[in-house]
Amino acid sequence: MSNDRYHTVGKSILRRGAKERLTGNPIFCADMEPENALYLKAVRSRHPHAGILGIDVSSAMSVPGVVQVFTAKDIPGKNLMGIINKDQPLLAEDKVRSLADPVALVAARTPGAADLAAAAVSVDYDPLPAVFDPEEAMAQDAPQIHAKGNVMVQKKVCRGDVTAAFDKAHTIIEKTYRTSAIEHTYLEPDAGIGFPDEDGTLVIYASTQNPHYDHKEVVSLLGVEDHAVRIIQAATGGGFGSKLDMNVQGFIGLALYHLKQPVRYVYTREEAFLATAKRHPFVIHMKTGADETGRITAMQMKAVCNTGAYGSYGIAVASRAAVHATGPYAIDNVNLECTAVYTNHPFCGAMRGFGTPQMALAHESQMDLHARALNMDPLEIRVLNGVKKGTVTATGQVLTDSVGFQDCLTAVQPEYEKAMKGWLSEPTPAYIRRGVGIGGMWYGIGNTGVQNPSTARVAMDREGQVTLFTGCADIGQGSTTVLSQIAGEALGLDAMDIHVVVADTKYTTNAGATSASRQTYISGNAVKQAADKLADVLLTEAVNYLKIRKSDLRLENGRVFDSRHPEKQVAFSRLAPRILDKGGELSWQGYFDPETVPLHPDTGEGIPYSTYAFACHAACVEVDVLTGETSVCRVIAAHDVGKAIHPENVIGQICGGVAMGVGFALMEEFVPGETISMNDYHIPTAADMPCVIPIIVEASEPSGPFGAKGVGEPALIPTAPAIINAVTHALGKRIYALPASLERVLDASIASGHFNNCYQES
Amino acid sequence: MTTMTCIRPENLDEAVDFLHHHGPDTHILAGGTDLMVDLRSGKHHRPYLLDTSRIDSLKTVQISDDLSRLSIGSGVTLTRINTLPLIKDHAPALHKCSFTFASRQIRNMATIGGNVAHASPCGDTIPPLVIHEAEAVVANKDGNRNIPLLEMNKGAYQSALHPEDLVVKFILQARQPGFSDFQKIGRRKALATSRMSMAVMADKDSQGCISFIRFSLGACTPTPQRMHDVESLFTGKIPSVKLINQGAGLLAEKMVEITGRRPSITYKEPAVQGLFKRMIYPMVTWCRQ
Repeated sequence: MSNDRYHTVGKSILRRGAKERLTGNPIFCADMEPENALYLKAVRSRHPHAGILGIDVSSAMSVPGVVQVFTAKDIPGKNLMGIINKDQPLLAEDKVRSLADPVALVAARTPGAADLAAAAVSVDYDPLPAVFDPEEAMAQDAPQIHAKGNVMVQKKVCRGDVTAAFDKAHTIIEKTYRTSAIEHTYLEPDAGIGFPDEDGTLVIYASTQNPHYDHKEVVSLLGVEDHAVRIIQAATGGGFGSKLDMNVQGFIGLALYHLKQPVRYVYTREEAFLATAKRHPFVIHMKTGADETGRITAMQMKAVCNTGAYGSYGIAVASRAAVHATGPYAIDNVNLECTAVYTNHPFCGAMRGFGTPQMALAHESQMDLHARALNMDPLEIRVLNGVKKGTVTATGQVLTDSVGFQDCLTAVQPEYEKAMKGWLSEPTPAYIRRGVGIGGMWYGIGNTGVQNPSTARVAMDREGQVTLFTGCADIGQGSTTVLSQIAGEALGLDAMDIHVVVADTKYTTNAGATSASRQTYISGNAVKQAADKLADVLLTEAVNYLKIRKSDLRLENGRVFDSRHPEKQVAFSRLAPRILDKGGELSWQGYFDPETVPLHPDTGEGIPYSTYAFACHAACVEVDVLTGETSVCRVIAAHDVGKAIHPENVIGQICGGVAMGVGFALMEEFVPGETISMNDYHIPTAADMPCVIPIIVEASEPSGPFGAKGVGEPALIPTAPAIINAVTHALGKRIYALPASLERVLDASIASGHFNNCYQES
Repeated sequence: MTTMTCIRPENLDEAVDFLHHHGPDTHILAGGTDLMVDLRSGKHHRPYLLDTSRIDSLKTVQISDDLSRLSIGSGVTLTRINTLPLIKDHAPALHKCSFTFASRQIRNMATIGGNVAHASPCGDTIPPLVIHEAEAVVANKDGNRNIPLLEMNKGAYQSALHPEDLVVKFILQARQPGFSDFQKIGRRKALATSRMSMAVMADKDSQGCISFIRFSLGACTPTPQRMHDVESLFTGKIPSVKLINQGAGLLAEKMVEITGRRPSITYKEPAVQGLFKRMIYPMVTWCRQ
């Protein structure tokens, strides 16, 4: 859809907050230094699984500069946290379940004193047998990590008759895929500060993705009234899912409650690595059947994911994995099951894609295996099977609108074909083999089959100044800019002329988590609704003032005018007092909750999401058959976002997603107990980045604000499968476990014969 | 957290004098690539930090009049190694290693002296220095002494240097070889510790036979290695695929002799052969030119 009809939507305006960041304003918690702030430090478990017989803080208390050492008994409210299932104590009580578990919290006048005291806390442990492998943890006699058993959740989606379909299938492919635990490695390690306000309110600034959830959780931990705690989201340097959990907020709240003086807690990179969530490692058994034309007729999928010591977002990961297992393909007969299991690893939680990137490795590998078995082109088999309007998904949902997967395939086709025909046959040194691979994905916007509303308020003052109040945390993805554009579009204002109050529980209402790629769609709708209500009040008053019927009136540049005679106009600043003086309302609340139907517990039938994003990536790689080094040269990335409210933001998300996808595909692996920091955990550098060609596809979503959906997580999902398919194309040998490290690629090269046949003896 | 006193001597004498009195209590900061990380992790806690960055005499690069000896000051940064024509001409493999060394920011700070003195098996400048039969000129209160590069490390991260010692410069046997190269494998394209590195330089006679060859393997073994057996295999012969395969096998065999069979050998054994083949194969064409 053309951007001309829009005033600010579809334009890449200057980002909100760009100036503050570029000029180094102290907007991040680590840069905020309240006077006389105490330094906090958590004492963490030294055992993966152990009972706690006693904690002696006396020698820690005698360290000069130490103000207090807290243990679980100092928590006045409920010592349990978790956004979906509450199973994680702020401070361990009777036992520790992982090396990351905090057992005590030190508050001291200097960081040095905090460190010394933390080392001096003496805990009497009774070590228990530990289990790290999720499949072993499911055994009857496995050590029990939680009283309810080690299987946290099992999510199923069934439809059609899988057995009959496999009987009739022409080709059956059955494989096992493995993915690694991943550390988010955001730029800004977790941080927060707190201080008591003049009226005694405990004010906490935090680097967070969900301030309103933090508020509820701190209130519950402290057992206080809602108004006693105020959470403000500080500038947040990335989150990718890990800042959905309570990382430092609870510690700050506890210290603040008792000490009533400023406190701060900034994680070191090492602590952020140890103590925050990871991406769930998966083991996926996938079996698919196709008919002789290449149409996939059946899928059976059994996955086990390791949630570590606590649930965090694990239940959401398991259900999203089951729902997304088919990928963006129409498969009539499915039997899908994902089990999330507790182990004694540090906990896993949300990370960009919630289990979908793991599933995409499996379904996209299967797709290529079927294509090869039938001698089809990988793009062709995806076109044949790809969802379109009218497709019935695994949960029985009929896709009706904004189904842009085929458009994404079409969009990458020219570059894909150029690569297959031209680039692939360019001369290279004998040790380099080139490959081209495709990865497809779909991603449901918002939480899976549950209510996840957002709210917003748009208010105009007597002078006509508009302020947008949103609880939506902008964590670097640019939601504040996008929401301003949405409000601006509805009111005929420049986005930058709107004041914003963002993610401050004293002034904003709940917008839900910045996760599940939901904020543009869900909070965008809430903002639009509020702005539309205000616009309507202004129009109504303008009818009165201009004596022109409403349908002829337009809003632009802070005024209402007659579209037929633009000289007939009235400024907002004139309308506002008239409305107020009549007792009218200039402050409006918006609310939006996507239409979903909860999934049936046995069959998974239901409507998990009201809309889906789609994407296709094509990756061009070079593999060194002698050393296993892999270079990703080019990624063509087509994304159906419904409508790009801010195209540069969308492109930024796509490029960032590709970077993360390169890491997931080739190098990232968090090994609990071994991986300490960025010294031994490699993420891609600028030198590892391919040339990215982003293509924005806009299959307008009728229920979205100006047709928009989301792109945050989708950007990452197809990259790794496209790279793995390209490496397979280059070597003629497939890798089934991520990352495709030097070792795995060299193994594949040796097995394929390329290693030995690289140089021929004459 | 402990405090340290930072010393920034303006000349070599001051530095040597300070080390004479406080050597065992001092960390030498010669760039800081590794030291800064170790200090932060709490691995080290000596009271003094001696920063060599202001000592100009450590930054000189000179070639002897007969072009046989190249002297490179220990305080020369990797960025300068990358840009100085003298190094490009007379120690081309060393020049080449500077392209892939860490990252641009680190190359601006990191020095060749720091890279060698840290005694990491993975120091990228070491194999190129070994093939030039480099010697480190080391100063202390008693005067200067020369240590051949192969004797600089007693083991992984165990330098033969005493706490009172300061590396002043490296003396390389300068050469403008017909063929030279440096290659490495890392887990990513920048800012990755080398899993494996190697350097070679060679000349041929009028028949295309190898008349001179030096080869060194880095990062795979606890201390740097010059691979004489591999050199002997090639000397006097015209390189062929068969010879290169033979050389690769021999190299892997020698490496395993030193390291034994630890789990990482599953990758290293084929990879060392692969990297060797990739590096040496261009010699086949070169010798036939």
